[in-house]
Amino acid sequence: MSGRSGVAGTGTPSVLRLLMVALVAGSILFGVAAALTIGQHASAAGEVVSTSEPLSLAAQQMYQSLSDADITTTTAFLAGPPQLLSVRQHFDADIANAAADLATLRSAGGNSKQLAASLAAISAGLPVYAGYVQQAQTYSSFGYPLTGGSFMQVASEEMHLTLLPAARSIYSRENAALTSASAQATGLPLIVISVLLALIVGVILFRAQRWLTRRTHRRVNYGLALASGALAVVTIWMLVAFTAARSDFGTSLGHGSTPAEALAQAGIAAQQARSDQVLNLISRSGSSSFQADFTVQQHKIGPGGGTLLDSAASSAPAGAGASAVNSAGQDARTWYSASSKVFALDLASSYAAETKLVIGTGSGSSEAAFSTLESDITRGIAADQVVFRSKAASGSTSFNGLELAVIIAALLMAGGSTWGLSRRLAEYR
Amino acid sequence: MALSFRTLLAVAATSTMALAAGVSDAYGQPSSPASIKLTETGSTLLYPLFGAWASAYHQQFSSVTIATAATGSGTGISDASDGTADLGASDAFLSSGNLVQSPELLNIPLAIAAQQVNYNLPKLPASTHVRLSGAVLAQMYEGTITSWDDPAIRALNPGVALPDLPVRPLHRAESAGDTFLFSSYLSTNDPAWNSSIGYGTTVAWPKASGALAEEANSGMVSGCQKTPGCVAYIGISYLTQALREGLGEAALRNAAGQFLLPTDASLHAAVEPFVPATPSNETISMVNGPAPSGYPIVNFEYAIVSSHQPSALKARELKAFLAWAITKGNASEFLNPVRFDPLPAPIVTLAEAQIARIR
Repeated sequence: MSGRSGVAGTGTPSVLRLLMVALVAGSILFGVAAALTIGQHASAAGEVVSTSEPLSLAAQQMYQSLSDADITTTTAFLAGPPQLLSVRQHFDADIANAAADLATLRSAGGNSKQLAASLAAISAGLPVYAGYVQQAQTYSSFGYPLTGGSFMQVASEEMHLTLLPAARSIYSRENAALTSASAQATGLPLIVISVLLALIVGVILFRAQRWLTRRTHRRVNYGLALASGALAVVTIWMLVAFTAARSDFGTSLGHGSTPAEALAQAGIAAQQARSDQVLNLISRSGSSSFQADFTVQQHKIGPGGGTLLDSAASSAPAGAGASAVNSAGQDARTWYSASSKVFALDLASSYAAETKLVIGTGSGSSEAAFSTLESDITRGIAADQVVFRSKAASGSTSFNGLELAVIIAALLMAGGSTWGLSRRLAEYR
Repeated sequence: MALSFRTLLAVAATSTMALAAGVSDAYGQPSSPASIKLTETGSTLLYPLFGAWASAYHQQFSSVTIATAATGSGTGISDASDGTADLGASDAFLSSGNLVQSPELLNIPLAIAAQQVNYNLPKLPASTHVRLSGAVLAQMYEGTITSWDDPAIRALNPGVALPDLPVRPLHRAESAGDTFLFSSYLSTNDPAWNSSIGYGTTVAWPKASGALAEEANSGMVSGCQKTPGCVAYIGISYLTQALREGLGEAALRNAAGQFLLPTDASLHAAVEPFVPATPSNETISMVNGPAPSGYPIVNFEYAIVSSHQPSALKARELKAFLAWAITKGNASEFLNPVRFDPLPAPIVTLAEAQIARIR
């Protein structure tokens, strides 16, 4: 021991006292640091499961409900009156679901001004949108389809210029919060500090025991042995728990959240593209802007290298998730094939045939192909979320009881060190 | 020439009144001693009115010059969208596609316009207005009614000596707001047309025997004038010219079953039910509306303008001009020569709110 000459110079009782202070302080410092670390990780893990993931899901569902409401009502409008009761119920359910998710997101609050502004925009815009849709349906049902059509356009503009951008912003923010919470639950810096402190205290305990053995010729100091045992047990427990949590959260993110996010983005892009087809028919402006946007969305969705479906496929969990993504890729190709016919008819101003292809439910129609794609994307997201929730929940339980164990261990370490060293000190009185 | 003379008279009168009254609008113009040029392209239907406005405005505010061009509504919208022109003039409101792609665009109503149906039946006196319905017009354009003395036309016109003349349906060759309005009228009145052809700025015209295509409203007037038996849809600012060329003017059947000509009263009546329902962005179709005495093919003429201008000066001058156009520019001396109607007060209020968004 490097302090051996120093020890001789300052006297054994002084060295014993110094060791006692160092070990008690080190134990307490380790206990506090480890407890804080475990607390933070456990809290972040709990937040992922109980807050961030549900909010991210609510934001994603809100976007999908809003977009689906718009597609449902514009498609029904194209089909003309009388509107089917089931379609009206579908639209009402979408609006109700969006409102419920909005309420969930609002109650979660948050101190971001941008988030508050987006939530306020949807709160204010949703009744305005629903009002325009109602006016469109009223005019249409009373025999003024053109006026109804113009109100449907205004409604869609409210949806596309106000509601969907705000919903997209909220989803991006909640998704970022989920990623951040997941990273916090498995972040390295705090655990590294705790382990370093454990190592330092362990080295001091080891050197102290070796010094005492040489000085006193007693092979074991029971107090220091107890402290060393407590430190070893809790450090190993901490490392195992952290490794397990990191592995579980890694799987939940890599094979749950990541493919679900890619599929959610693909679903959003598909809804945007579908909306392009429907609005193009309603506005009949001769503009090619809808077709251009459809092509942009098609390139985003995929399948193919660098696309959202490609990203989802590369990270999807084996089984239901992978199967759904593969099906979605095939569905997308079928839909694009039907859509190329749609835009060819539009170019030829063959609106009647175009309408049949866009809103018809028969085999080969754009509506049928889109519905299949949407269904498979939804199935894939559900499968990915099962993986995410299962692994995130498992990861969050890894820290169960550890915080208390760390505190008890720190107390044992401090108590054991004090007891072990004070017995030796007593020999000098 | 009569149109030009009346327009000049109107311009002179307005300019004199404005100068005498020391006119300045809500935006405090003229704001800049430096000269500025505003450019407008678009609707051929609006072109004559925009020309009159440009002259009058320049006379009143010599630092501001407005260059106008009749390019068609579609070009007006795209020019305003990509900044090629400061103002686009359009017979149709912006589509959702335009707005989703360019959310900074505004469509601001400038006046109420209409579309009439003219025909070339040489032996029919000008005082006789052949009655036509949307369904009959659809069949004429589909080629299933091929002669002017077809029983379906005769049934609408008891006592009128309809000639045994082939129907020559005339339509616009290019993408046009007028085609959108006319095909909309046909679609709402004829389910077969709606399901097979539909409506749009361009449509897949049926291969009717003798059908012709012409560019712009002026081309429709001259084309019809040269083609006995023709039937043509033409913007109301060309009605005076069409009548001068000897074309007849049809009375169109509205949703209530009344046959009407496009007069101040029938235009006003047609628009009235839609005024309280007009949304804040003033996108509304008024074709074939519910008013019993309302003319069936009416619309707002729109200025398409970006709410984000490249400079504060340009924004201020555009706001000033548009504010002038929907108020002083809606005076009868400007609108009467082109047979437009002024905007109702609530529509002006909505338009002013939109103009205020220009920055």
